[in-house]
Amino acid sequence: MGRHVGIVGVGQTHHARRRTDVSQAGLVREAVDRALADAKLSMEDIDTVVVATGPVLFAAVNQPEKWVVDAIGAQGKSVVRLTSGGGAGFAGALAGYYQVAGGFSERTLVVAYDKLSEGQLQYSISTLYDPFWGREFAVGIMGFSAAYWRARMDVLGHTEEAAAMVAAKNRKNAISNPYAHVKKEVTVEEVLNSKPLCWPIKLLDVPPISDGAAAIVLSSEKMAHHSTSRPAWIRGMAYCCEADNAPERSLMLSEPLAIASRQVYRAAGITNPRRQFDVVEVQEPYSCFELNYYESLGLCPPGQAADLIASGATQLDGDIPVNPSGGCMGANPIGAVGVIRLIEAATQVMGKNESHQIKDAKTALVQSGGGWANLRGCAVLSA
Amino acid sequence: MFSAPDSYPIDLPTFHSEINLPYTLTPGRAAGTFLAEVKNRRIVASRFASGQVVAPAQDFSSTNGEEPEAFVEAPHTGVLTAFTRVDGQVIGFIRLDGCDNDFPHRILAELDDLSIGQRVEAHWDDSVEQSVLAIKGFQLAPDAPVGTVKPLPTTEEPLGVIPYAMKLDYEHAYGPYYGRMFDEIRENGRFMGVRSPGSDVALLPPREIDDVAHTRTGTWKACADTGTIRGCSIINMEVYGQTRKVPYVYAEIVLDGASTRMIHVIEIDSLEEAKEKIKPGTRVRAVWTQGERKGRVSDIERFEVIDA
Amino acid sequence: MNRFYRKGATPTERLHKLHKDEEALMGLNKVGVVATAQTEFRSAWNNAQHIDLISSVVTSVFKGSGLTIDDVDFIIDSGSDVLDGRSISNCGFLGALGAHHKEEARVEEDGLWAALYGVNKIRSGSASVGLIVAYSKPSESDIDLYWNAQVEPFYQRPVGFGQRAANGIQAQRYIADSGVSARDLASLVADRWAAAAASGRVAIDQVPDADAVLNAREGAAPLTDLMFSRPVDGAVAVLIAREDIARRTSRNPSFITGMGTSMDTHSVAVREAGTLSSAAKAAAMAYRNAGWTSPDVDLAEISGSSVVGELLAIEALGLAQAGQGLSAARDGKVAINRSGGALPADPIMATGLVRLAEASRQLSQPELFGGGTPSRAIVHGAGGVGMQNNCVFTLEV
Repeated sequence: MGRHVGIVGVGQTHHARRRTDVSQAGLVREAVDRALADAKLSMEDIDTVVVATGPVLFAAVNQPEKWVVDAIGAQGKSVVRLTSGGGAGFAGALAGYYQVAGGFSERTLVVAYDKLSEGQLQYSISTLYDPFWGREFAVGIMGFSAAYWRARMDVLGHTEEAAAMVAAKNRKNAISNPYAHVKKEVTVEEVLNSKPLCWPIKLLDVPPISDGAAAIVLSSEKMAHHSTSRPAWIRGMAYCCEADNAPERSLMLSEPLAIASRQVYRAAGITNPRRQFDVVEVQEPYSCFELNYYESLGLCPPGQAADLIASGATQLDGDIPVNPSGGCMGANPIGAVGVIRLIEAATQVMGKNESHQIKDAKTALVQSGGGWANLRGCAVLSA
Repeated sequence: MFSAPDSYPIDLPTFHSEINLPYTLTPGRAAGTFLAEVKNRRIVASRFASGQVVAPAQDFSSTNGEEPEAFVEAPHTGVLTAFTRVDGQVIGFIRLDGCDNDFPHRILAELDDLSIGQRVEAHWDDSVEQSVLAIKGFQLAPDAPVGTVKPLPTTEEPLGVIPYAMKLDYEHAYGPYYGRMFDEIRENGRFMGVRSPGSDVALLPPREIDDVAHTRTGTWKACADTGTIRGCSIINMEVYGQTRKVPYVYAEIVLDGASTRMIHVIEIDSLEEAKEKIKPGTRVRAVWTQGERKGRVSDIERFEVIDA
Repeated sequence: MNRFYRKGATPTERLHKLHKDEEALMGLNKVGVVATAQTEFRSAWNNAQHIDLISSVVTSVFKGSGLTIDDVDFIIDSGSDVLDGRSISNCGFLGALGAHHKEEARVEEDGLWAALYGVNKIRSGSASVGLIVAYSKPSESDIDLYWNAQVEPFYQRPVGFGQRAANGIQAQRYIADSGVSARDLASLVADRWAAAAASGRVAIDQVPDADAVLNAREGAAPLTDLMFSRPVDGAVAVLIAREDIARRTSRNPSFITGMGTSMDTHSVAVREAGTLSSAAKAAAMAYRNAGWTSPDVDLAEISGSSVVGELLAIEALGLAQAGQGLSAARDGKVAINRSGGALPADPIMATGLVRLAEASRQLSQPELFGGGTPSRAIVHGAGGVGMQNNCVFTLEV
């Protein structure tokens, strides 16, 4: 890749179950103010803006970037919105990356948000389905995700316990995350005994519903020094998909994630992900997904994700901590999550993580995605 | 579809779909305060550091995002700066006396009686609360004296949320593939897919171009109404808009003869029983509706387990 | 590197200095349009689904290029959940888009912005061939609802202010400032419809004359329904590639030499009246990136949500002085909207990409358009109520 692009400033709101003090526009402004302050810049220094949110049905404003542009003082600038379900934030960051890498911009602000308290989350997600074929039976993507998880467990002979360990780990990690709003330690037993919602997905396997926004400033190499002496350089970033109704769609591995990671690892010089990454941040819409990611990202061999979590390697004090921020379990403003994961990973390698700074973190892996788990991407950051 | 010319336009049925949902939207401090004060017949505006006043109140300036210093009260009178008529309703831009911006609202007058620069005055509708429509509209007020912006030291608590609803209706074209598939479901009570390129197994639902290879699909093939579960979960939570009573099994079923999945439900008595009896690999059969078939997925009422 | 960035230069000035010589110095690739495909645009494609329209153009765009879907590195698509009746609608259309196991992105804005993203990807060097697709089926839903839902919900939406009202007021002001008559506007509309019908790419039962346009139902006073752009169903695909591949596969490819975009304030009432300032900013950015000192072009393909919107865009692009758009639209010095433009055929979310397809064909194959040796074109796309967002490309052969 030609021009180098780095994250030079970050900011996110204190996410909440419901913010009644600010509109969507106000929420965005908060995150943007923080990111600009962190980057030591003002909106005048920003060339272009990318906005990302989940589906518009979440909050009843169509093409909301056209409304929030005013709140952030970006009138007159290049503003465009990307959307990709849960992966929207990541997709927005990727579009921003290419604006800088492609010479269209020197500094791009990417802001992602969702105000999930405003609508009917599961109903709006269910409209992802084909109205002719299956929508009436959908419960968001929970029904389908649970089905795939169960099928995986049957093939591998696993129990629900591995995912319960993920839930317990992430919920505990979230306690120290100043931006998370769910901070309650739970035991693996409590997760296993929690109410089945779409069995095998149970209440404590599920992240909260949140209002939140997150923003990053992407800079060219030339301009980065105005903001920081230690940018989180994007060494590789890709987003891949698979057609949803493919006959051979694997229930075991996420092929789009595996394809994206292969591309990204090659760009970033990663040959042994387990050893080379100091920290990993992934977007787990339900606890079971984190297991799938371990395998699809090559952190462990296929079929051995349960062993990896059981070994303790992905705990805070393990050799490959995953979601030291708490992942989605602490806060889940869906469209913003891709950017939140990028922020958590960037601040790790910049040495200023506010949740749990992993000692000497130099290289971080970020995963995000959306849709029917068929839009998936990852990025490698290093400082 | 690509190359063959159409002859005459055909009147085809469409599939009606509805997206209908309630919201609780957060107006934020400025709009929240405005909406709380309309019951007092107050028009809350925002004053910026420069002295500029903007009505109705804004959290962020429309020109540059700056945050205002204070709320003030705008007069009810102003000047008409532009207008149009849409579906019989006249809408115009009003600049309230003492304010620096124009904003849109309804004009309660005939289009032909209007000209730019006329003085107008807010007409209130006391039956409406917590909405900008507490002002029913602006009416002509040629003799109304010029009002002034007044300070507003205290205001009502801003509204935290306002109720809202969206109702979206669609008339989706079936296209030739879904058209035939649903026609077969209605007329003959059977599922038809199209063969994947180079294969005998059918893609269900059918389409002209294969999703994976992006090549033309093959000929039509009937699938059985029995099949195998590829994945399933037990829905045990109630959500808005649900069409079945919980608990039920959400199932992704591959019908015999097909390669792709159909989504449907299986009725159950208890979670525990369902966990044991219904799993990937379980054989199921469609239970057709007793009533008249309509050519929809719901012509199959549900699937049931085929006991071995 | 100091000569590129004057101390104290504003961001836009910094960006504007990024012109052609520097592209090479920075190692940025030049991007060409290899091929395009469109479905016919119809008021209703009632015998086709979205995926049928999409797969039609994705299949057709490769014909004659020697490339196949396997050569495509990425797909960027434009569409609207609200028009499609489906959240994350790209997710259900990935197969039709040819995106399986490729990198895909959904830009929920007019297709010209999807092309902008694609051009940046190839310029960055991370990809060499990209497919840009845009589509919609407005016939399936309520267009007014699509537009009104874009307007903020607390002050503007409840009073019924939306796209129609914004365009009506824009027209009232334009007519007062420029002195054009309703009949003048109606004649231009009729010309555009005639051009679209003649192109063979837009299904039109009967081309309206100026009287028919004047006598149509009121859309938003003083505009009649026919003075608004007509929403149509359809899809368009544009295949773009790095210069060496573009030259290898296409006889006379056109190159995207400059891009600019700018978004105005949300509040129509607060925007500068009588001008589309964000279109002017977008144009200035594109021209400077292309190294142009003036919009000295042979042809232009320009979007517009109403006939007045089109005229305002013509003026904002620098093709006419303020209030003089009508004479530029008709006098033929610059061939504007030979395709008919957006007025007879506005596949919402795809319109700007259709303009790119049309302009690139007019530059690459002038023999199909009356001959000559055109070398430069302007392409314009817009989005949002009252054309809040604008995007401009410069195209050259």
